[in-house]
This record gives sequence, C-alpha cells and structure tokens, in this order.
Amino acid sequence: MGDTDAFGKLELELRRGVVVLATLSQLRAPRYGYELRQALADQGMPIEEGTLYPLLRRLESQGLLKSDWKTDSGSPRRYYSLNTDGRKLLKKLIEAWQGMNDAMGRLLKEDGQ
Amino acid sequence: MNANDVIDCYVTDVALQLPRKQRNDVAFELRALIDEGLRDKAEATGRAADAAMATEFLNAFGRPAEVAARYRPTLTIIDPADGHAFLRATVIGLAIIWVLGLLVRLLQPIDAAGGLLGALGQWWGSTVIPSLWWPGVLVVGFAGTAWTRRRWPQTSKWMPRAADRIHGGRLTLVMGIVGIACGLYTLVHPRWMLDFFWSGRAAPSAYAALTYADTFLESQGPWLLALLLLNIPMFVGVIVQGRWSPLIRRIQTGLGLVTCGVMAWTIADGPVFVAPVSDRTLKFFLGLIVVFTLVDLGIKRYRRVRPTPNILIQT
Repeated sequence: MGDTDAFGKLELELRRGVVVLATLSQLRAPRYGYELRQALADQGMPIEEGTLYPLLRRLESQGLLKSDWKTDSGSPRRYYSLNTDGRKLLKKLIEAWQGMNDAMGRLLKEDGQ
Repeated sequence: MNANDVIDCYVTDVALQLPRKQRNDVAFELRALIDEGLRDKAEATGRAADAAMATEFLNAFGRPAEVAARYRPTLTIIDPADGHAFLRATVIGLAIIWVLGLLVRLLQPIDAAGGLLGALGQWWGSTVIPSLWWPGVLVVGFAGTAWTRRRWPQTSKWMPRAADRIHGGRLTLVMGIVGIACGLYTLVHPRWMLDFFWSGRAAPSAYAALTYADTFLESQGPWLLALLLLNIPMFVGVIVQGRWSPLIRRIQTGLGLVTCGVMAWTIADGPVFVAPVSDRTLKFFLGLIVVFTLVDLGIKRYRRVRPTPNILIQT
C-alpha cells in the first residue's frame, strides 16, 4: 500500500514537470482546450481538464500564448497558439528536456534497468 | 436539477473566485469546454447526460476553489521553507500565553458561585480567544520576511558565522562587566541607588524598603555575591581569548544553573527584604530571571547540533 502511495505521488511529480512542455508542444498550431486535451491524451499524455484549462490561461498571461475566439463550427471556442516568445521558450525547453532525457537514459542504463 | 443546472452551479462557483476582469470570459470558455466534455462522455456511455453524470464529471474536474486557484499565479503568504518555524512559533507562543493566563486566573480568588468551571470560562474568554493576536502577528511577520526575501534576494543570502563569536564584540562584554560590578555594589549596599538618584534625600520609608533581612544576609546573600563575582573572570577570559571557547561555554552553563538554583532557594526561603512589598517585588524579578535563564539554556541545548549517525557505521 505504501509503495503504491509513493509511486502515485512520485509519478504525479514527474508528470507535473512535463505538463507545460507537453502543452506548449501541441500549440504550434491553434487549438482550443478540449481539442488540445484530446490531442495530448491520444499521444499518451492525458491531462485533467481542471489542470489544463487554467494552465492555458496562465501561459497566456505570461505572454507565451495568443488566443482568439472563433465560431467556425457553431459554438464559440477559444483557440490558443504559441506566439513568438512561446516558440523561443519551447525551443529552449525542448533542448533542456532532451539533455535531461539523455542524462536519465545514461543513468538508468548504468543502473541496469 | 438537470445537467445544465449542475454545470451552471459549478461554473459560477469557479468564476466567483476569479478577478472580476477575467471572470465572465473564463466562465464562458469553461462552460463551453465542460459542455463538450460532458457530451462526449454521454456519447461514450450511450445515455443522455443527467445531473448525476454531470456531477461525476465535474468532481473529476476538481473542487471549484482548486480550479479557480489554478487560473491565477501561485500565491504564497508564508514560504513553505518557513512552515515548520511558523508552526513551532505559533504553538510555543500560544502555549506560553495560555499557561500564564491560566496561572494568573487560578491565583486569583475563584468565585464560589462559578467555581473552577467559571474560572476556566473566564480564562477562555479573557486569554485564549484574545491570544489569537499572536498567530496574526506571526503571519504578518513571516509574510513580510518572505516578501522581502523575494524582493531583495541578496539580503537573505546565507553567510557563514563562527559559533564561538562574541555577539556585539568585546565592548559588549566590557559593558557586561560594568553591569555586574554595579549589580554587586547594589547587592552589597542597596541603598546606594537611593543615594545615587536622590542624592541621599529619599524618603525614610524608601530606605526602610531596601533593608535586607538578617536571614538573607547570613544564608543566600554570600552565595549570590560569590556567583555574581565569578562572572567577572569568566568575561575577562572571553575578552582575552576573543571568543567563547567550549570550556568557557561549559563554565557559563554551570554557573547559570547554580545561580538559578540559589535564586530559587532565595525565592523559596525566608524574606530577602524586611519590607514585604520590596520582598515580593524582588522575588518576582528573581523568578523572571530564573525562568528566562532556564529557557535560554534550554533553547541553546535544543539548537545544539552534534553530527552523529543514527545507526552504527559498518567497517
């Protein structure tokens, strides 16, 4: 039971660390919240709605995303996409992630996993 | 209540906790996103969305307060690093206030009609409830410190400090020796204060108030005098060495404990002054000195760090 609790908490920590990168990576083209969530889930990164939708607003207020209301298919939807600063940040985050991923790959390999 | 009502209620609860300027816009978007999510859920389960399904769906979303909080930058009043210190200061401070309040209340005559329960009720109303000022003061203090640390990080940069340094430098110790000398003179000749401040023209009752009882002069007086005197060579030793060496620290602790013991003996034994009022006042201050000295020694002991492994080191 204790192991399950610890795994759940630590996995949550790991996921928290990549939520922003995963979100930004899917906003190179405009997407609205529900569509983005589906896209992330389809690629194996489900993020709770209660986390994702506020995150989009926060990233926008931090000057990384731009958004527009569109009513193409009936009901109005707010579409988010990376702006210039967001693209620059995404590039840096990808480099940092790849560096960490390589290091973790080496570490886990050395550990015989 | 149908699914729409449930969603309306949820969206309103989230939006009410957001700043007014983004409230309606977020509510509009959130409503649309929830509608779409619930529609897909209903399709997946093969039945129409109802209040129960909407409630279950929104419970997975999270509590409205949590969701609303995620829309805004994280607000930290007290730094997580200060959490334990805050809790400790709150608990210790409240415990001191409550215990002192209870002692004061119990030392007063208890009304026969109300009895002990009545006295406890008065203590609750006059000490416990008003004591909530203490956590409030701590919140303001810790929040101010955290804000200062974030605003000017260089001010809170860690700096190494020698454990055996003299606080305030040698001058502080010289002033301490002067203070002890004055204390010694006062102990030997308490009427000196009256001569010093009133040039010998103080009222005769004032002189009478500062007359020692013979029992004190024969028993505790010489001990207190000797213990006070011993502080002078100890301070001189620190001044010469320029630091508090471990040996001098041990001497200071021992001297402090013995002095507390003699002071406690003085309080418990016969009168120090002939005049009862002077005697009670002096004993009250002696009691305070004993308490503060013991608390100080206890804090120093609690804060002592001796790096030692908890388990045996295998060789």
